[in-house]
Amino acid sequence: MTNGTVEPVARVRGDAFAAGARAMLPWLAGIVPFGLIIGVSAAQADIPTLAGWLTGPTVYAGSAQVATIELLNVGAAPAVILLTVLIINLRLVLYSGAIAAHWRGTSWRWRATAAYLLIDPSFVVGMDRYQRHGDRHDAHRYYLGGAITLWVAWLLALGAGAVFGARLPTALRLEFVIPLYLVGEVVRRLDDRATRRAALTAAAVAVVASSAPLHLGVVLGIVTGLIAGATVRERNG
Amino acid sequence: MNVWLVVLLAGVGSYLFRVSLVMLADRVILPERLERTSAFVAPAAFAALAAGGIAASTIGVEFALALPPLVAVAAAILAVFLTQSAIAAVLAGMPTLWVLSMVLGG
Repeated sequence: MTNGTVEPVARVRGDAFAAGARAMLPWLAGIVPFGLIIGVSAAQADIPTLAGWLTGPTVYAGSAQVATIELLNVGAAPAVILLTVLIINLRLVLYSGAIAAHWRGTSWRWRATAAYLLIDPSFVVGMDRYQRHGDRHDAHRYYLGGAITLWVAWLLALGAGAVFGARLPTALRLEFVIPLYLVGEVVRRLDDRATRRAALTAAAVAVVASSAPLHLGVVLGIVTGLIAGATVRERNG
Repeated sequence: MNVWLVVLLAGVGSYLFRVSLVMLADRVILPERLERTSAFVAPAAFAALAAGGIAASTIGVEFALALPPLVAVAAAILAVFLTQSAIAAVLAGMPTLWVLSMVLGG
């Protein structure tokens, strides 16, 4: 602002990373509590707490991490756990396809790193910037600023939840925190008819199939919910 | 297969999804139907995981033990309707669960 309407280019470039980080801050308000809760559930589950926390840097997707921890806790078969996680995370292929055009021409190493950080909030924050005009290098820095901020906050939240959760007595029944939080996430989204159909179908099937062999209830619920949601929208055009 | 290997494989699979089309780079047109369906993944997954967790605490247990979780879920739903915040579900549901469990001797 010191030299009129045009900011110095160097300053703008230096700020792109910080601007991306700032754009991520509103997301953190919703994501940090979720991370804390998953950390607590990792500490309370019948698996090594560190293994639960490691779902953060490996799977790096909240709902898929919940599925991993909960299904490991009940002793589900590895194949069922992996199938469930991959179905939940299939949307990452879509994000990958959508953002690929903006990353064309970047180094192999850059793409390998940037892709690792790809998840719902970083995708939205990044795409918002890529779709605006402007310097591509700045846009890359903006994406990384947001994505790295999210990654650090997520792993810290999981860690804090895991440390804190390990000290809490089982009488508090903290295993119920995750289902309640997810109920909240679902209820918030029930305005749209197709989403409502998808969620209610998924819940109903998961309950009916809760005694299905191999703990297949959750994955059956998700798949039928997806089909139910997709058919509603199609009919509506 | 042990717990660590499952976590590692889930991570490798998720990473392959993330990196897949980025590495194939040149414009990939995804079927529109797939893109539409992906909008339902989060609500369907959340609903199925929540329902599975609630079912585990309520199905096949005696009424006095099943009641507190069910009332807690009802309190959670009401709180979210009023506040539109997911964390409100936990803040309303957990105390309800504790109080009812104490009253009913659960």
